[in-house]
Amino acid sequence: MYQITRSAALRSLPEFRKYINLACSQRGCIAKQVIGDLQLAVDEACTNIITHGYNGMNPGSIILSLEFTDDWIEVTITDFGLAFEPSPAPAPNLEAGLEDRPTGGFGIFFIYQTMDQIDYTSNLYGNRLTFIKKWNPH
Amino acid sequence: MDINFIEKQYADIVQVSGSVDALTASVLSDYLSLKINQDHTNLVLDLSEVEFMSSAGLRSVLAALKECRNKGGDLLIAGAQPGVEKVLKMSGFTSILKIFPDSENALASFSA
Repeated sequence: MYQITRSAALRSLPEFRKYINLACSQRGCIAKQVIGDLQLAVDEACTNIITHGYNGMNPGSIILSLEFTDDWIEVTITDFGLAFEPSPAPAPNLEAGLEDRPTGGFGIFFIYQTMDQIDYTSNLYGNRLTFIKKWNPH
Repeated sequence: MDINFIEKQYADIVQVSGSVDALTASVLSDYLSLKINQDHTNLVLDLSEVEFMSSAGLRSVLAALKECRNKGGDLLIAGAQPGVEKVLKMSGFTSILKIFPDSENALASFSA
């Protein structure tokens, strides 16, 4: 298992992305598109945690871990802020004209577009967001 | 994230390099807004050196696109890497703005 802990601050976002790249590179044979999808989903989730989960609280930390099997990658993001479940809200209107085009709501939408399975639990010990991404094309 | 500005005849190129995420998107937004308010309203946003863009980056692009068009200009995207292009496609942005393979083609579109 690969795991890092960083402060729940925006400056940690590039570090999480680099770590995903590192872990996948060490695992080997993972397509760039899969790595990109993981980076995007984790980035969007961590941004939400930093912006909403720790809103009004002393900045805490986020733990990112990755586990690999032959068929999928399991990513877990753990934080200790306010619970913020990324529910599958209605997709933003992708057909709207320019003036009506929504500026928000894409973060969670991207998570659901790129990950194969999403699970969220919240208890006294923290909030745990888990993604499953299939990676073996065979 | 770094930003370079290159003035051309019919439009100007804004070259961005690095990542456009929640940490850096406001810098890009502010820069684009500044240039648009200085009457640089025909812009080619060169993303060939942008390795990552999240929804925060999309908001910056959308805000600048609206500003350009409201002032009678336009904003085109050039050189989006596969990951960035995927974000633009997933969000449906490819139906409201044009993406070119490189800046030269985007500039040519302005002078046509």
